[in-house]
Order: sequence, then structure tokens, then C-alpha cells
Amino acid sequence: MMHCTMDDLNALRAGEGSVWARRHITTCAACRAELELLYQRVAQLKALPALRPSRDGWPAVRAVLRAERSRKRRAWGTWTGSLALAASVAVLLLVRPSSDSLHAELSRAKQQSATLEDSLQQYDVEDRVLSGHAAALVAELEDRISVLDGTLAQQHQRAREAELVRLWQERVGLMRELVNARATRARYVGL
Amino acid sequence: MTVAFAVPDVLVARAQAGDEAAFEALFRAFETPVYNLVRRILRRPEDAEDVVQETFLEVVRNIKQYRGEGHLWGWIRRIASTKALMRIRRDQVRATEPLDEEPGKLGGPTFVGANIDLERAFEQLSETSRAVVWLHDVEGYTHEEIAEQMGKSVSFSKSQLARAHARLRRMLDEGARA
Repeated sequence: MMHCTMDDLNALRAGEGSVWARRHITTCAACRAELELLYQRVAQLKALPALRPSRDGWPAVRAVLRAERSRKRRAWGTWTGSLALAASVAVLLLVRPSSDSLHAELSRAKQQSATLEDSLQQYDVEDRVLSGHAAALVAELEDRISVLDGTLAQQHQRAREAELVRLWQERVGLMRELVNARATRARYVGL
Repeated sequence: MTVAFAVPDVLVARAQAGDEAAFEALFRAFETPVYNLVRRILRRPEDAEDVVQETFLEVVRNIKQYRGEGHLWGWIRRIASTKALMRIRRDQVRATEPLDEEPGKLGGPTFVGANIDLERAFEQLSETSRAVVWLHDVEGYTHEEIAEQMGKSVSFSKSQLARAHARLRRMLDEGARA
């Protein structure tokens, strides 16, 4: 007498058995017993206890994440440094004697921006944990600064000096907010 | 093992904002289920630990793309199983199952063991067979999903499942008789 294969039994379990298998299982006690064993095995597999790692894996994951963030941070610093240099060159090319006051404002804004960049280094959060709200604020400010830097990179060769001043001053404002966010958190956690 | 717990949306939002404490909380919440899944598939504990690490790094790198559609565990589980299967493919020689049986046929015991239980019998299977059995029977993946993740055909997945159960059946039968 022909019996069900394991393929047949798995198909029956999935409700996809062939016409022959579905008819056979109703008349063959041996195959019904095999199907029941299959159900029991699967139930036992599902009931196996969870296996747990022998050591805490978080420190290794955290180390990789921090290294990645440090690399990004350095790349960002290099990018903004290059941007400042490019902007300075552009200003030298664009500024005319008649725009002394704008030139001074632009220089002042860039100087403030550079100072705030330095301040930010003191509050680098690579080793510090931010609350959800603080992390969201910092992420938003960094995103806005990145967007602004992108605009500055596109504008510096053709923008009027007044527009450059406005953009750099906006950058100073965002940098100041970012430094404050970091500093507040550092004070709060006593770091 | 069935994983059925929810992670607060605020925790996901914090992780998406780059909060390291939130990353750690997610890691703590899902480390054991991820490890259990990949360890059931992979033979060596150190391979499973590597895959856990790779999985969470990918989770962190892509958490901003997670839009909350479906359960977070489903998303993480998919990453983990894909990485475990990639590791099997990378070490395909190690995963090759001895073709010492006629697929689908019951009976014909070839394994000699003493008092073998299901967990030990399961460990005797190849990593490929373990992956198919675990993903299909425990995690509830369809053969189509398994085939897609393994880069194989649906019939491959079905035949692996049948072959694996035939082996388990024989090993347990021999263990009971020994």
C-alpha cells in the first residue's frame, strides 16, 4: 500500500494536499499518525526555550556606532571648514570698496560661526547620552545647518554680498542654538 | 519562541533622532529574540553573535527609513534572517547537507543516537535545513518568502522542509528505541 511522503504531509498541514493525499489520510491510520507526529514536532519546536547570547553584545555595537559618528562628525567639520575658506575667497573677489560695512558684517558673522564651531567641540556628544527631546532638537539643528551649508556652497560664487551676510548670520543663529542645546545638556548631566 | 511585544513609538522616535540611549533600549529589547532566531539557524554561537551585531548596526543605520508599517519585530527579524542566510551562503560548504536520504520517504533509519530529543536532533540538521524549518514552522514564513530570501526556488524550500522533517523523524525514532 502506498503511503504519504513527508512532502504530502507538509502539504496537508498547509491545507494544500493533493486529492489523493486528502483521500488517503482519511483511510490510513499510519499516515494519520505520521501527520499527528508532524504537528507535535512543530509544536515542540515552537515551544523550545529561547537561546541567549553568552555575553553582552551592546558594547561592541556601541563602539562601532560611535566610531561611525566620529567619522561623520570629522567629515562634517572638514566640509564646513572648506566652505568657510571658499566663502572667504568668494568674498575677496566680490567685495568692492563701496561695501565696507557689508564686508565687515560678513567677516564678523564668519568669525562668530568659527568661534561657535570651536565651542561646539567642547560639547561633542559622542560619549554622552541625550534625552529624546534634546536628541531631536540637536538632530533638527544639525539638519538645518547642513541645508544652510548646502545653500551657501551653491550661492557663494554668485550671491550678492547682502545675501551672503544674511545666510551667514542665519548660520550663526543656528550654531548658537546648537551650542546652547549641547551646553544645557552637559550642565544637566554634570559633564 | 513567539515574540509578541510592542515597543513604544516614542522609543522609535528617539532612535530615529539619533539618541544612543534609545538604540541601547532597542538592542536590549530585541537582542534575545534576534539571537535565538539566528542561533537556531547557525551552528556556531560566535557566528550568531556576529549576526546579532550586524543586524543591530543595520537597524540603527536604517531606523529613519522605518515608517512604522508592521511590527518593529517583523522588520528587525527580516534583517536578522537575511543576514543569517547570507552567512550560510558565504560558508556554503559548511552548510551542505549530506544527501544520504531519499527525499520525502519515511522510514529507513540511518541515524544512531541515544535518547536524542528534538532540540539535539534539530542541531544535527544542516544550517540550510535548520533555516527552512525554523523560518517556516516557527517564524511562520511562507515558502515563497523563504525562497526569495535564500535566492532559491519555492520547490527547493518545500523539499528542504520535507527532507529535514524526515531526518528529524528518523533521529527521534532511533533515539526512542536506543
